[in-house]
Amino acid sequence: MNQEEKKVEEQAVQALIANTEEIVAAAPAEEKENGPVKQEADGENKIFRKYKIKDIVFLAIMAACMLVTGAIMPLVGQIPVFGIIQVCLGLQFSIFPVIGMMKVRKPGALLFMSLCCGVVLVFMNTVMFVCILLCAVIAEGLVLLIFRGYQKDGACLFAGTIYFPVTLPFLYIYYRFLYSWTGKEGQAVNAFIGSSAGMAVGMSIAVLAICFVGALIGVIISRELKKSGVMKK
Amino acid sequence: MALWNKKLYPLVAILAGLFIIVFGLVMARELLACSIFLAAVFVWLLLFGCWKSCLHTLPMFLIVAGIFFGIFYGATGTVNSGWAMANRFGAVFLAIVPGMSTTPVRMTRCLSQVHTPRSVTLGMLIAMSFVPMLKGEIKRVREAMKTRGAGSVLNPKILYRAFLVPLVMRLVNISDTLALSVETRGFALGKVRYTIYKKEKIALSDIVFVLGLIAGAVLVIVL
Repeated sequence: MNQEEKKVEEQAVQALIANTEEIVAAAPAEEKENGPVKQEADGENKIFRKYKIKDIVFLAIMAACMLVTGAIMPLVGQIPVFGIIQVCLGLQFSIFPVIGMMKVRKPGALLFMSLCCGVVLVFMNTVMFVCILLCAVIAEGLVLLIFRGYQKDGACLFAGTIYFPVTLPFLYIYYRFLYSWTGKEGQAVNAFIGSSAGMAVGMSIAVLAICFVGALIGVIISRELKKSGVMKK
Repeated sequence: MALWNKKLYPLVAILAGLFIIVFGLVMARELLACSIFLAAVFVWLLLFGCWKSCLHTLPMFLIVAGIFFGIFYGATGTVNSGWAMANRFGAVFLAIVPGMSTTPVRMTRCLSQVHTPRSVTLGMLIAMSFVPMLKGEIKRVREAMKTRGAGSVLNPKILYRAFLVPLVMRLVNISDTLALSVETRGFALGKVRYTIYKKEKIALSDIVFVLGLIAGAVLVIVL
């Protein structure tokens, strides 16, 4: 290597060092003190964290899964049996949201999935769309109150279990006050809930059990995928 | 304002769908009036560029409404409850039509124009356009199951091990690739300025469509 080449190389190295120093000087003071690694670790401990594009994409895909499997909702929604929608869709409406929450683990994940799913659902069953949004808010609120976020697997399991069964009381209100069956007062309630309250209670327990099983399957799948390295944080 | 658009303005389509389902369900027990209203809405949608979706949903509606009409007629012995049920299904199927005839891209463009948060529009776009892709993925996983001789998906163990796990694994991989692809195309969340090259504009035809729907509803109530 001759002298000229050495000189050019030295100049390039000096320019690179100067550039790096400029970038470091431009970085915020807080970042200099803590360092990027500490900042990232602090971010992980926060309850409310910013959504990234990959989070949005994954949650939207999970919402699409819910949508595809929930396409029978407008059909079963008209059958006069209390909780029939929840029994038919409970499994898929707990598996996919739980997988979404297990990967993203940020407050609002469930609400976001419900919103994305609701875009199409609103045309199929407007009442269920409203119910699902309300229930997502309730489930998220309870998880934040009890678990302070989705960091624990138990929080995802809990949210997945209560998310769909909470729609039952809202549906009761709908049948009681808004739904018209034959035009006679209270006949919708009789038709959908039956003359005995036992059936309604039985169906509610069945829905809760189905959703718990679904949420458990979701947690198991997510753990397995994490173990195999497919699902990263 | 343009005079005539071949397709409905996306927001008008959403609102029209909501109106049809709510009005249809509320009026379902007014048997003849509701049926006439739904038939008129069907013709109206045919005229306003939704003929493909109308013809797609018609056979499905006839089958489902026929089955439920039969069940309710058999259970109650009266035509009225079956007819009311057919009206409800008519409202549900007609409400889907305007949404079906609006492409996800147009819907996203329109929502972006009205300054909907970008995360929401991206999520909606993916959720709406991912459905056909998901069907393809399910088909591929099932083909793989057949190739391996895994057996029926009705068996819970096989459903979990050979269907659910591979499907979710594929979905995770697709989501990672899609997220990377979205980022490399310059999509960013937050308050980033963006432009819309082809703007969705409301046309006179949309106003005529909405007025027609409202007039039909008013006529049903008054008469």
